Amino acid sequence: MTHEEIGLSGTPKKSVTIVIDGRKCRADEGEIVLSAALREGAAIPHLCYEASLDPYGACRLCMVEVCHNGKTSMVTACTLHATEGLEIRTDTPEIVKYRNVLFELYLAEAPKSDVIKEMAARYGVTRTRFLKKIDTDDPLGGSCVLCGLCVRVCNEIMGAGAIGFVNRGPYTVVGTPFFEANTDCIGCGACANVCPTHAIRIEDRDGERVMHSWGGGRVRLAQCGVCGKYYAPGALTAATLARLLPPLRDDLAGLCPACRAKRIADEEIRVNMRGGADHHVRPRRS
Amino acid sequence: MTGAAEADLPAREAAGLRKLKPDRPRIAVGLATCGAAMGGDRVYRRFQEIIGAGGDDIMLTKTGCIGYCREEPQVNITIPGRPLVILHRVDADDVEEIVTAVRAGEVPYEMALCRVPSWDHVTGTTVEYGGGFDRIPLYQDVRFFSHQKKVVLRNAGFINPEDIDEYIAVGGYAAAKTALTEMEPDAVVAEVERSGLRGRGGAGFPTGLKWRITRKAPGDEKYIICNADEGDPGAYMNRNEMESDPHMLIEGMIIGAYAIGAREGLIYLRAEYPLAIRRLELAIAQARTCGLLGERIFGTGFDFEIRIVTGAGAFVCGESTALIASIEGRTGRPHPRPPRLTDIGGGLWKKPTDLNNVETWCNVPVIIQNGGDWYARIGTEKNTGTKVFSLVGKVDRVGLVEVPLGTSLNTIVFDIGNGGSQGKKVKAVQTGGPSGGCIPVRLFDTPVDYENLNRVGSIMGSGGIVVMDEETNMVDIARYFVNFATGESCGKCVPCREGLKHTLLLLNKIMAGKGTEKDLDTLGLLADTIQKTSLCGLGQLAPNPVLTTLAYFREEYGALVKK
Repeated sequence: MTHEEIGLSGTPKKSVTIVIDGRKCRADEGEIVLSAALREGAAIPHLCYEASLDPYGACRLCMVEVCHNGKTSMVTACTLHATEGLEIRTDTPEIVKYRNVLFELYLAEAPKSDVIKEMAARYGVTRTRFLKKIDTDDPLGGSCVLCGLCVRVCNEIMGAGAIGFVNRGPYTVVGTPFFEANTDCIGCGACANVCPTHAIRIEDRDGERVMHSWGGGRVRLAQCGVCGKYYAPGALTAATLARLLPPLRDDLAGLCPACRAKRIADEEIRVNMRGGADHHVRPRRS
Repeated sequence: MTGAAEADLPAREAAGLRKLKPDRPRIAVGLATCGAAMGGDRVYRRFQEIIGAGGDDIMLTKTGCIGYCREEPQVNITIPGRPLVILHRVDADDVEEIVTAVRAGEVPYEMALCRVPSWDHVTGTTVEYGGGFDRIPLYQDVRFFSHQKKVVLRNAGFINPEDIDEYIAVGGYAAAKTALTEMEPDAVVAEVERSGLRGRGGAGFPTGLKWRITRKAPGDEKYIICNADEGDPGAYMNRNEMESDPHMLIEGMIIGAYAIGAREGLIYLRAEYPLAIRRLELAIAQARTCGLLGERIFGTGFDFEIRIVTGAGAFVCGESTALIASIEGRTGRPHPRPPRLTDIGGGLWKKPTDLNNVETWCNVPVIIQNGGDWYARIGTEKNTGTKVFSLVGKVDRVGLVEVPLGTSLNTIVFDIGNGGSQGKKVKAVQTGGPSGGCIPVRLFDTPVDYENLNRVGSIMGSGGIVVMDEETNMVDIARYFVNFATGESCGKCVPCREGLKHTLLLLNKIMAGKGTEKDLDTLGLLADTIQKTSLCGLGQLAPNPVLTTLAYFREEYGALVKK
């Protein structure tokens, strides 16, 4: 990704005016409309949107009505880019009608999810006419809505690719290959963190991180060299440390976050007492 | 690097004509997949045995399919100076009798379907066969053929699809030569625009406009792709186009690549069409040998290559963004547009890409050869040209039919198809495959074109027409197509994945006699929601069979639900 693409090119983005439910708001040109609307406090439900990932448009809950040249159409706000004068409505009778059916579909698909129940209830949907999916063996506990956030974060952000979609259509599920423990998993837990319905179960015990939802895979946790606590998966720690420069890397290796903070603070105090500079910020010349 | 030898078209043309009209009898067995499935390959093998035993006084060869599926297997007999005679429903046991007759300068009359004294290959070439055999009906007097207009299928069933010489003999690659050596790319685009040709994959987007957009898109690297992922139940137009006349597709792509400015073309072809894959691979190799593909084609500075990419059995990969994902090696799941394929960042390997259906490409050579104005005179003002339809289901004369756009369903189903099979009454047709709608017989005066089919709740689609008779239960039909679409949904967006599943569950419940009036309301609302909120065309169109049967055959639903 270039600096231009992530907005670091130095030139500020052009500001445009968009109209949300009759109210004028500012947005950056090209900004995802859902992001701008949420910032403005608009009540648009969504499950598959995450700012750091590519637009996906799968949950269909964020559909808004766009008015263009007098013609209206329904589009997902998470794939819509802000342009000058763009006018959207979030609560037309049509939007409400279709959104309610979608909520009913979600209630049937993830009957165990409290997040879905609460979200649907906020929009006035408390029951579903559709047959509820009951699967007592579901490693995702009947709460997965296939928003794809876990798969995308594992692939796009972590670069691990440990999980993916299996099967297609109504048989689609998320899992590791053959639902077995996957050695590609570094145990980072980003999947569980990003999951909107808290469907992914991960547990740290006995010096290991157990990926209950992903075939019971186990990742060794690194132990702090000072306090002895298990603090993070070893593979993740190694990957993170590899990005640091040697003095800092060597200083922090094998420390838990708390001991790390203490070590840095101690070092700063020691250096400052001597009136020296912070060698972590400015690497020493060899 | 030196280019390939300039294509020697006149020599190939002469060689091809000697094969089409040899100085000895020619027997050509119709061997597209349909012919082979009906026993054509057994017939061919029997001919090999019998002719082989008696010397080489008879030329035995293959052709594609003329489209009259009900009458397969078919065999063309050409005796020098006599009309070409098409034999139908030939069995391996008939072969000996046929060979004996042919050796005596005759044909077995009782097996003859029709005779063709001369055949117009539309591109300015008419092959004169000869006179005689007056007892056999003329081609144009056979009712299955008499209402048709063959443009795309002009060579199908006449030439050997595995021999480039025969394609060249009937005017093939002349259009490509004209385009590359005498026309500027912009003029080629303008000619296609003038023709009014619209996308034959079903959406009907103006082809010339799509070409112009891709041509104008920034960047030197562009791709053209042929969508040959035909997967609608009951539709096999593209299969026959590729199996019976593969060079027409290649020629169309050469012209398109030149007009758009692409150096590489891909054919995304479903793996379920092994014969089409084999024939296209052969045709590409032949075209390369003749210098029609590769570097410096026709001695110009234009280089072009075509490569086949096979699908892996997913219907959704016919959707443009899923198709690109599949070619790039990713899972075939659609993503939201824009960016469109023609945009930078949206096409194959993020380069601007023009994607057209097989039949769209096949229309290109004749447009260049005869001119856009000539083409625009066929059909209606906004729906020019012909369209190939597969007329299947409970219809008497099953087959592939090619008619000018704007022809009414009445003409297609009753005049060409002769109504229901076994004399039963026709009730409805389903057009456009699983994404189309069911049109009741009272609306059969509807002209078949993009807008009028939309008006009655269906779509053109790629061209499948499935006929239903009085014994067909329309709820079951809706259930069948929803079942298909549910199985083919990629599972990405919730209305398609979950909505279609629940549509199917509701339809099963209704079919089992356990549904209620309330279920019908839920069904209608759910179908409407799926149509309005799905991510891609598969989901947006999949409820059409439900919505149209609810609108036109509500009483059949009513009869099934509890009162």
